[in-house]
Order: sequence, then structure tokens, then C-alpha cells
Amino acid sequence: MTAGVRALLLAAGLAVIGYGLSGLLGDPYITDPLGVLVWAVGALVVNDGLWVPLVCLAGASLARGPVLRGWLVVAAAVTAVGLPAVLRADDDHGNPTVLPLPYLRNWLLVLAATAGLALLVGFVRRWRHRDRTVRHRARRAPGADRP
Amino acid sequence: METEPADSGRPAARRRYDPRLPAPPAFLRRGPWREGAFTSPLHEPRTVVVVGRWLGGALLVCFLTGLTSHLLQDPPGWLAPHLPARPVNGYRVTQGLHVISGLAAIPLVGAKLWAVYPRLFEWPPARSVLHALERLGIALLVAAVLMELFTGLLNTLQWYPWPFPFRQTHYWLGWTAVGGLLVHLSVKAPLIAGHWWRRAAPALAQRRAFLTATTAAVGAVTLVTAGQSVPWLRPLDLLAPRRPDIGPQGLPVNRTAAQAGTVTVPADWRLSVDGPVPYRLTLAQLGELPQVSAELPISCVEGWSATARWTGVRMAELVRRAGAPPGSAVRVTSLEAEGPYRVMEMPATYVDDPLTLLALRVDGGVLDADHGFPARVIAPNRPGVLQTKWVARIEVIA
Repeated sequence: MTAGVRALLLAAGLAVIGYGLSGLLGDPYITDPLGVLVWAVGALVVNDGLWVPLVCLAGASLARGPVLRGWLVVAAAVTAVGLPAVLRADDDHGNPTVLPLPYLRNWLLVLAATAGLALLVGFVRRWRHRDRTVRHRARRAPGADRP
Repeated sequence: METEPADSGRPAARRRYDPRLPAPPAFLRRGPWREGAFTSPLHEPRTVVVVGRWLGGALLVCFLTGLTSHLLQDPPGWLAPHLPARPVNGYRVTQGLHVISGLAAIPLVGAKLWAVYPRLFEWPPARSVLHALERLGIALLVAAVLMELFTGLLNTLQWYPWPFPFRQTHYWLGWTAVGGLLVHLSVKAPLIAGHWWRRAAPALAQRRAFLTATTAAVGAVTLVTAGQSVPWLRPLDLLAPRRPDIGPQGLPVNRTAAQAGTVTVPADWRLSVDGPVPYRLTLAQLGELPQVSAELPISCVEGWSATARWTGVRMAELVRRAGAPPGSAVRVTSLEAEGPYRVMEMPATYVDDPLTLLALRVDGGVLDADHGFPARVIAPNRPGVLQTKWVARIEVIA
């Protein structure tokens, strides 16, 4: 049964890929499909050849500890989504309702706020950890908690 | 990560139809191809399956809502008469979700691709013909997904640095990505099933931290952008390209009057209504027809939406006056000289809906030039680009 489902999924997937690619090649508005290919390969190269190696390097060397790593993940996500707006903040093609906010300020604000939150989490973790070790030691010492 | 059976274990038929490829010489196995080049314990199937499920869910929502948008905006002939004008906020919700799920997929795809990154350097690079094809399929899937997220994000800013048209490319790559995803699910089905449940996975302290960080990243991205479509998140709308309350008369604009060349309306402007009994009306005469008000959202394909109180004449009323029966579709033409949405066709379901208006006023004031003065179309459950502004002519077409 599962083999059948897998085969069906495979066939459907191949058909849908074929539909998408033939549509891309046949669309009258897409006059230069090669341009799409160049950008698609560029996306792969930038992600796999530049971005992920950087993340791996940062994770293996400077970014130690779950809280710092967690904040870096959040900061990277916020930057990926927000940076285009920061870069284009004053280019609205004469439509002031596009990109109407102070994006550089807001981006730094979000980074600072999430960093503050991460610091708080770090402190709470450290405090709870110390609390637990103290209690642990007290329990191990005979008679310490039952005088 | 995934242990491969030795060649001798493969069925004879598989060996015949999936010939093995020779492994490259071992001295080439350097850098990231080295054994143990990646030290994080998180490059393991359970982490990948958990993040993959989230990403798959986001991509599925994104694809289905995108398809909905495409069908509402550019329906095939057989579907057009059946497009529903309700629910009123339908397109607002689906398109808001399209952009929210697409933005959420950005950190998710980052987490997923990082977790599987060592697979890019597996050795040998291609064991067999099928294996090589599968890896090509992965490249197609990843490229299509990255392109979808990148072009979609930049489109919300109306930024087009690439040499191809956005809408058509985004549409066809969407299908390509979903096809690639189905193939990927089929190929990886045993691995996914084997790591679906937590109890089957080895306990790993870092996994929880990684998944928490990924969740926090999705949450942060959503919180600071979703306010462009979700009213109660508006105060946190810090990084979205729109604020639903910023614009003339407190509403954003997709295309301004200056961009459309419709800042000044000809002094002899008349609304032409062509049907069995054609007629023309001045703005004053339009204002003397029965006026109806409706709370309707303007919902853009770029994800933002805002509700306003629109006042004007019912589309059905205008069409009836031209002698057309209920069930008639119309073609609406704008004053703008050019633009992909200068001419719009409206199926009968919308024409006959009592909430579909030719609006003359918004929130009590005469329409701003940017909102389509002297008159604009506003209908429920309809993409913003089809809410034609600066209307010059309405023709009954069927």
C-alpha cells in the first residue's frame, strides 16, 4: 500500500514539475527563461556557497551557548525579512504609501528588543541553574535539610 | 545520516535499471566532503523532519492561498461565472495568509537547509543514476523555493531587480516547487515516517534549543510584519512594507493617480454604461441615484488590507438601468491610458452582489485622486487590482 502511495506521489510530483516548467517556458510574458535560470542558480550559489557556510563557521566558532545562538537565529530571520525594506526605504516610485515607516530605526529596535529578551532568558536560565545546584547539594548533604 | 544498503543488497532489477556510478578518487574527498566535517549533532533526521513538517505546512498554505489568488484574479473562462463574492473578507484572509506563511517560510527554509547542509557534501556525490537524478530534483526544489520566497518578499516592496516578469514567474515556479516537494516527500517517505514520532528519536538537548530558536524566529518575523493585514497586530507592524492606516484618507494605495496619469479628470467626464439601453451620467447625476454604504476591505495581492466605509451606487442598479437582466457580467474600463488592469471584467456573481458598489465616497469624504476619483469599483472578496479606479465606462458583456 505504502509503495503505491509513494509511486503515486512521485508520479504526481513529476507531472506537477513538468506542468510548472512547461508553463514557465511557454508563458508569452516570460521572454527570457534563461534569466530565470540564472537567478535560480544564483539563489542556490548564494545560499549554499556563501550564507550557510557563514552560519556554520559562526556556529562552530564564536556563537556558543543556546541563548546567543537562539538570538542570532532570530536576528538573522528578522534581517532577512526586514533588510530589503531598510535598503529601499526611500525608493517608493512616487507612492508614499509604499515603505512609509522608518525601517532602519525599526530594524535596530527589533534587534535590540529581541537581544534584551535573550539576555533576560540567559539570566533566568543561569539563576535557575544555580538554584538547582544549590538545592541538589543541600539534598545530598545528610541531615542538611532535616536538622 | 541515512545509511545506504551495499550494492549487493539491492535487488537485481534495481541494479539493472539504476546503474551504479563510479566513485571519484578518494584524494578528492577534501574540505566539506571529509568524513566528520560537520560537527553539530543537529544534522540528524529527527530535527530535519520536525523543521521540514513546519516548512511543508507553510509552503502548502502559501501555495493554496496563492492559487486562490491567481484564480480570483485571472480565472479561466469556465470558472469565472462561479467565482463567489462571499465571504466578504475571503480574499483579505487568503492573501494575508499567503504573505504571512511566505514570510514564516523564510526562517524555516533557513533552518531546514542548515540542518541538511552536510547532505550537499555526501560521498560519493552520486552513487547511481537515480541518486544523481534525485539530487538534481533537490536542487530544483531548493532553487524554486528560494526564488519563490525571494521574489515574493521583494514584490511586497514593489522592488523588481530581476529581468523577468514577477507574476508569471512566481506562478509557474510555485507549481515547480510544489512538484519538487511531492517528489521529495515520495523519495524520503521511509525516513520521514521513521522519525515522525518523538519517542523514536534519540534525546538531544540541542534539538530543543534549535527548534525553540526557529519557533522564536518565525514568531518574531510574523509579529513585526503581520500587522499589515491583521488589525490587532497593527501596533507591532514595524517591518512590513505597508501600514493599513497610512495613505490618503487613511488608506494605502497600490498605484497613485500620478503613476496612472489620472490626477486631473477631464472636465467632460461622464460615466458611460453600455448595455441594451446605453446611457451616460455626470458625477452629479450619479450622486442623485440611490446611495448605498458598505464596510468593505481593500485587499492587495501584496498582502496588506484595510477596511473602509465606501458609499456609492450599486453595480447591479447601474446595470439594471442599462436594461441588462440579472446574471450579466460587465467589463469596466479606467481612465488611465495604460496599465495591466486598465480593463477589468467582473463576473455576474459580483455584479449582482448588493455590496458591490461604484463608490463615489470613502469614510464620508469624496474619493481622493489616489483612490480613484471620480468613481471606483469596490466589491467583496476581490483582489485589489480588480477594484478598478478612475472608472470611465461599464459595458454589459454577457
